[in-house]
Amino acid sequence: MRSKYLVKIVSSVVALVLVLLLWVLIVSEPDDGQVARSPLLGQPAPAIVTATIDDQPFDLQRRKGSWVVLNFFNSTCVPCINEHPLLVDFANREATNDNGAELYTVVNDDSDGSVRDFFSKNGGDWKKLRDENGAIAVALGVARVPETWVIDPNGLVRLRVTGELSAGLLEAQLDKLRDEFTS
Amino acid sequence: MKTKKSVWLAMLLLVCVLLAFGATRSGGPLTQQDRIDLVTSRLACPTCSGESVFVSQASAAQAIRIEVARQVAAGIRTDDEIISYIEQRFGSQVLLVPRSTGIDSLVWSLPVAVLIVAMALLVSAFARWGRREPGYPSAADETLVKNALAETAQDSNES
Repeated sequence: MRSKYLVKIVSSVVALVLVLLLWVLIVSEPDDGQVARSPLLGQPAPAIVTATIDDQPFDLQRRKGSWVVLNFFNSTCVPCINEHPLLVDFANREATNDNGAELYTVVNDDSDGSVRDFFSKNGGDWKKLRDENGAIAVALGVARVPETWVIDPNGLVRLRVTGELSAGLLEAQLDKLRDEFTS
Repeated sequence: MKTKKSVWLAMLLLVCVLLAFGATRSGGPLTQQDRIDLVTSRLACPTCSGESVFVSQASAAQAIRIEVARQVAAGIRTDDEIISYIEQRFGSQVLLVPRSTGIDSLVWSLPVAVLIVAMALLVSAFARWGRREPGYPSAADETLVKNALAETAQDSNES
């Protein structure tokens, strides 16, 4: 009699755990080219001091006062190639905005020559930053490219998009952030 | 009986001493490279499956190795703080050894709890079986045995 109850209790607990696991699977959001979480959101951006592929110095601290968009890129990565026309459109749109964001490509595990060739063929006259030894990628926790980050004029990290950008996503998110955080 | 008990006690004492020695002994000072190897072997490569940062040749793992080496050389953070720094950026999936706090601690505590519960159940089951009185044959059983014995005796007489 007692063991009958025990079997019922154990099987109910197992069933409950399985239902909970199923529920977690159903409600968890997929992480495919969309806005992603990061412990750095709302925190000061890590120090980024580097040089462009044209040997011009770059210090993120000196970009305070402007919205900064960092796009991690590799010329052989297919999603990076796919999203490039969207970034060109984004850069053109921001150039016409008084409070427009500055777009920078962060070269991830790629040579200066390959990046130059890619941009000369596909357009995009914004600055391309070297990432020596992947230091910028590690500072932001970027494991795979493409990834896009937005830093506000106060130097705080505001947005992380992992994977290939979808049309209009970056524009919509940036407009929302500008409304929210521009005083 | 007494000797057997003392042997078990001696073995238990030896195990306790060895455990205490193992838990408290110091491995001696580590070189910077030892620290780098130790930290990177506790981190999972974020772009490959089942490989540690220590062994992986993926570019993300190499970048983490370089960052760990830089932080070890700077001498500001402890090993655990360096691991926390990487975890804060890449998420808890880069930890090869789960933390002993929060929900991760279940990985450590659950097997021990299950073991303790199982041992307790076994001990209580053995105790119950030990206490159980031996069964006595009923009158029907005795009649059955008597009949069977009589039949056997009859058969042997006939042959």
